[in-house]
Order: sequence, then C-alpha cells, then structure tokens
Amino acid sequence: MKSSFPKQFIANTLALFCVWLVLSGKYDNFHLVLGFMVSCGVAWLNTGFPHSPFHHFPWARVVLYSPWLFLRVVESSLHLTKLILNPSLPIKPILITYRSHLRHRGAIVLLGNSVTLTPGTITVEVNGNAFLVHAIDETAGKDLTTGRMERQLAWVFQEDTNQR
Amino acid sequence: MINFFLFLLIILSVLILVYLYRVIQGPTVFDRVLGLNGISTKAIILVVVMGTVYDRVEMFVDISTGYALLNLVGAFAIAKFLEQRGAP
Amino acid sequence: MVILAVGLILFGVFFLVVAAIGTLRLPDVFTRSHAVSLTDSLGAICVLAGLSIYQGFGINMLKILVVLVLLLLLNPVIAHATVRAAYRAGVKPQTEEDQ
Repeated sequence: MKSSFPKQFIANTLALFCVWLVLSGKYDNFHLVLGFMVSCGVAWLNTGFPHSPFHHFPWARVVLYSPWLFLRVVESSLHLTKLILNPSLPIKPILITYRSHLRHRGAIVLLGNSVTLTPGTITVEVNGNAFLVHAIDETAGKDLTTGRMERQLAWVFQEDTNQR
Repeated sequence: MINFFLFLLIILSVLILVYLYRVIQGPTVFDRVLGLNGISTKAIILVVVMGTVYDRVEMFVDISTGYALLNLVGAFAIAKFLEQRGAP
Repeated sequence: MVILAVGLILFGVFFLVVAAIGTLRLPDVFTRSHAVSLTDSLGAICVLAGLSIYQGFGINMLKILVVLVLLLLLNPVIAHATVRAAYRAGVKPQTEEDQ
C-alpha cells in the first residue's frame, strides 16, 4: 500500500477541495488557501487504511450504475404506491435470507444501501456476506432473489459471481 | 410563483402533523424514532423551500445540511442505546 | 424550465402524501419503515431536483444537489439502523404465517 499513498492522497485532497468550493461559495484568496490547507489536513488523516471499504473503489462505474438504480427505485415506488392506496391493503411481508458472492467490502456496503434505498425492501441485518432482508411482498423482493441487483454490482466491481 | 411555494409549505406542514401523530401514538418506541426520521426529512425540504421563497438559498442550504448530519448522529445514538438496552 | 420544475415538485409531493398515508395505515414498524423509505428516496429526490432546476445553473443548484446526495446516502443508513435496533431488541415482524 506504500506505493499508492501519494496518488490517493492527491485524489482525496482534490475531492475534498471541490466540496469546499461548492459549500463555501466565496472565491477570494483567503478562503481558497484556507480551504486547501483544511482539505490537505483531512486527507492526510484519512488516507492509507487498507481495510477501508473505499479502497480501490471504482467511482466512475458507480456513477454509471446510479441511473439503473434510479429506474428500479421509480418502478418499485409505483408498485408500493399501488399497495398502499389499495383499500384492502394486500401486503404479505416476508423475511428473505440472501448470501451474496461479492468479495469487495465496498460492494457489500453498496448492495445493502441499494436494497434499503429501493422502496419495498429493507436490510435488517448484515453479517459478512449474509443479508437478512425484509420485503413487503414477493414482487418487491424479486430483484434481489433473482440476483439481478448483484449481477449489476458484479459488473461495477468487475467480479464474476457465476460459481454458485 | 410565490403562491405555489406557500402551497408547498402548507402541504409539508400538514405532513409533519401526520408524522407527529405517529410519534405521539406509536405503539413501540421504534415507531416514534421512525416518525422523527420522517419529520426531519420533511424539515430539510421545508428549509430549502423557505430559502427559495426568501431568495437566500445559499444560507438556508447550509442550515439544512447541518440538520441532516445532526439527524444522522441523533438517530444513531437512539438506535445504539435501544439496541443495547433492549425493548422497553 | 419553470414548468418542468413545477411538474417534478408536484410528482414528489404526490409521493410524500402517499408515504404519509402509508405511515398511518401500515401495521408494524418494519412495514412502516418501507413507507418512510419511499418518501426519503423518491419524494425528497423529486422535490429537491425540482427546486434545483427552478434555481437555474449556478452555485445554488450545486448546493441543493449536495443536500440531495447527502439525503440519498444518509437516509438508508438511518432506516437500516432503526430497523436493526428493532430487530435486535426483539420486535418480531408480522409475516404471512401469523395472519
């Protein structure tokens, strides 16, 4: 990890400095220099943990993954809206146990976050690779149980999950 | 246009009252926490809309960012406490 | 531009109202958390995106988008923390068998 430290440090500093530029909104010399110093310090404190979930994190492909996730969110929101506005309330809640084959820690974090973000399914417990997911009915959980979401994430992290 | 934003503010306030019913009435303490979470999301949107009405978005957005982060810390504190102590 | 912003805001407000109805109607804490997560993910995204489009290009739009991304990242985490606390504290979810 020693060799990639300066590259990661510069990348973190630039990202934090962009956040500073957006949030401060003042572009005179004093604020620019202060922001650069602060982002250098924070990046120096936070770089170089080899077990962090953001180690070797493919940011570009995650940005490409987000429109697909947004479409899924809209689709399952409409499904949940139909369920809620139905006068007889036809919900059948189930608990799904799911074991994923992803290895990267960031992939596990992203899978749990995507499952919770999608309306109708919520991650109750994560233990290593084993997920316990509460779904409001079978149709809402179908995305996870058929492995569709995991295949997308395997594409994002360039892993193969075909050995099941 | 200002009328539309006032209409939006009124709708958000009514929704906050609905969630407040869940906070007061909730059978378990987790329902109350969930209702508070919903209220804080509405409050974030409400602050941004208020900034649009007063034409000072850059200030109100900072307030709502702070509100979101404080909400995260508060929800974590309550969740950790209840998890270790068990259901009341 | 204004028409697109108003349309997005009204679309989001519809989902906010549906989620409030869901919080009143659904039976237990797990299903209610679905309703709250529906609001957080779609309603808040649509309303904030509409407001940022109404502002036009500039620093204000970027700032509102920062709040949007923050909500998108933090709200699932809060929902997961609450539900996990409920599960570990011994609240049993209603499933098909006991209805």
